[in-house]
Amino acid sequence: MSAVPFIFDVLAYGAIFVLVVLGLGVIASMMGIFNFAHGEFVLLGAYTVYLLEQRGVPVWIGMLAAPVAVAIVGLLLERTVIRRFYAAPVAAMLGTYAIGLALREGVRGLLGGQFYSVAAPLVGSFGVGDVLVSKWRTAVILITVVVMVASWLLLTHTKFGLQVRASLENPALARASGISTDKVYAATFAFGAALAGLAGGLMVPIYSLSADMGVPFLIKSFLAVMLGGAGGFEGAMAGAAFVGGSSAALPWFIKPVVADVVVFVIAIAIVKVRPQGLLSRWRT
Amino acid sequence: MSRSEYEVKQRLQSYSRRMFLQRAGLLGGMIALGGGSYLYNPRRTWAADPIKVGIATDLTGPISWGGIPNANVAKMVIDDMNASGGLLGRPLQMVLEDTATNEALAVTKVRKLVTQDKVDVVLGGITSSMRNAIKDTIVNRGKTLYIYPQLYEGKECTPYLFCTGPTPAQQCDTLIPWLIRNGGKKFYLPSADYVWPHVLNEYARKTILKNGGEVVGEEYFPVDHNEYSATVNKIMSNKVNVVFNTTIPPGVAAFFKQLYEAGFTKNGGRLSCVYYDENALNITPAHEIEGLASCLDYFKAVNDPGGNKIQQEYNKLYPGNNPFTAGSASTGMYRGLRLWEAAVKEAKSVKREDVAKALDHAKIADGPGGGCEMVPGTRHVKMNMYTAVAKSGKYEIVEKSKGPVMPGECG
Repeated sequence: MSAVPFIFDVLAYGAIFVLVVLGLGVIASMMGIFNFAHGEFVLLGAYTVYLLEQRGVPVWIGMLAAPVAVAIVGLLLERTVIRRFYAAPVAAMLGTYAIGLALREGVRGLLGGQFYSVAAPLVGSFGVGDVLVSKWRTAVILITVVVMVASWLLLTHTKFGLQVRASLENPALARASGISTDKVYAATFAFGAALAGLAGGLMVPIYSLSADMGVPFLIKSFLAVMLGGAGGFEGAMAGAAFVGGSSAALPWFIKPVVADVVVFVIAIAIVKVRPQGLLSRWRT
Repeated sequence: MSRSEYEVKQRLQSYSRRMFLQRAGLLGGMIALGGGSYLYNPRRTWAADPIKVGIATDLTGPISWGGIPNANVAKMVIDDMNASGGLLGRPLQMVLEDTATNEALAVTKVRKLVTQDKVDVVLGGITSSMRNAIKDTIVNRGKTLYIYPQLYEGKECTPYLFCTGPTPAQQCDTLIPWLIRNGGKKFYLPSADYVWPHVLNEYARKTILKNGGEVVGEEYFPVDHNEYSATVNKIMSNKVNVVFNTTIPPGVAAFFKQLYEAGFTKNGGRLSCVYYDENALNITPAHEIEGLASCLDYFKAVNDPGGNKIQQEYNKLYPGNNPFTAGSASTGMYRGLRLWEAAVKEAKSVKREDVAKALDHAKIADGPGGGCEMVPGTRHVKMNMYTAVAKSGKYEIVEKSKGPVMPGECG
């Protein structure tokens, strides 16, 4: 076994997972909503890139437009549907699942159920020793690091982040202090949606566009959020890195079909041993 | 107002309200069903009762890429039959049901077709799991003829169930010797973990060994798997010549990309995938699958008069993103309907026993990729097969079978 492709693979797949889980983690940890439509937000981001590319817009502009487009969709959904679910997290799961289903089948209808490729802004690979490494996957790793740090700074070191955290900790006191929790929730949800849109935009050259592209990530992303503990943003990131990294690493040693199950077994075992992250800081 | 007048008025009111509710319910139902059978009644009025053709396919859900063109082809062929006088002096009526890529739902839908609509034949199903879910309801309990149009893993020998798509023998017998001549002897078989790849690989492995090749690895992935670098690394470090792929979309896009980026094709490796048709060319950028070899019963590039005529007619009726291709079971659907038509004409009846007897040796002179015929006693079709290679986003035919290839099933 050669080390370079192994390390690169674990990093690259881990990065993609972190990217997908970022948005989910923000919404889950800051608002206590498990957004089952997250996979479809990712899909919408990818679809935006595809639509713009079809109209002759360069792919990288599409990737910048994707988070904006998905944030708008997220904002509209939050204002019309999601905000009615804040008091009932279980109903929120079902509600967002329904939204996701509608979005997915809508996009499927528009695509005629087909699969479409989108060219990466960076095509091909470069050599590390005698091994070839994908340029675009490398770019995704770097972009993920930047986005992760920026999101963390936004949530921990800005006024907006403070308001978000205040609204989470004690909504009544936050409102009494002049924070419009209503607006903060809307903005947080839109921010989470934007991150999903960005993930979709960056992923679409790797996975191609199809209505089900978000589905394989959804359950493992929830696993990541559970694993990290839904209370904290950093925890979700660690969980994502673990789930993504181990999903990529295990098939090097055992059968891929078994590896898929083993990832869940390990994760569930960790949750059993370290349950404190789970549910601890959720708003009820 | 007298009491009786009042009662009459009440009744009228409630009657009209009920009528309104009924009509609203009907309209709502029609909209909800999204274009079911009522849209497909023959336009002309006929003296005789129509012959009913049930089409059960996945118009929605993950397999809709196959179901949509299947329904299109069926409508096109049935309209054509009606335009040329129907069958046995009777018009044909297509009864379309959306099985929604959901086996449990599909059983209910086909039960409706056979018990309520009392269709004379059912065509449809794309995946093997769908065929297995609905066949008993159609054939055994429904006592109705069933025609399955998709390329599949073979071994389906249920009486009254006819298969009109290619089998492993048809896809491998010409392709694998070609791959050994034009790729090399070392094969790797990356596959999705469900019935079709498992059974196809069994046959492929046998054919590879028979032709002097070797199988370096055979590996199964969860069907929605999308991370393949461990496998790509094994393929590269074992210096594999031919990747005979049966992983499926959407994961296949990531796999082919990783393989390309690792330099597999650049180093002279040959990709092969037997469900790859014109639709599949969109899954990855053209340069990533340059040289990919597929073997199907029809490609646009075959440029045969029969296929060209169907293409032209189809594209006029259904422009858009669901073209007429072999991998989407469209060719199997066309063949199935035309063979059934020939059988009904010969049997001069639509009774299951009579039609099945005639269908057992039915043949058509022309169709996509040429004519074809049932191999008596097997309920499978022998047909021409074509090996094609992807070049700059298009297929080039590199080899034609010497005459029709035997399905090698149920013999």
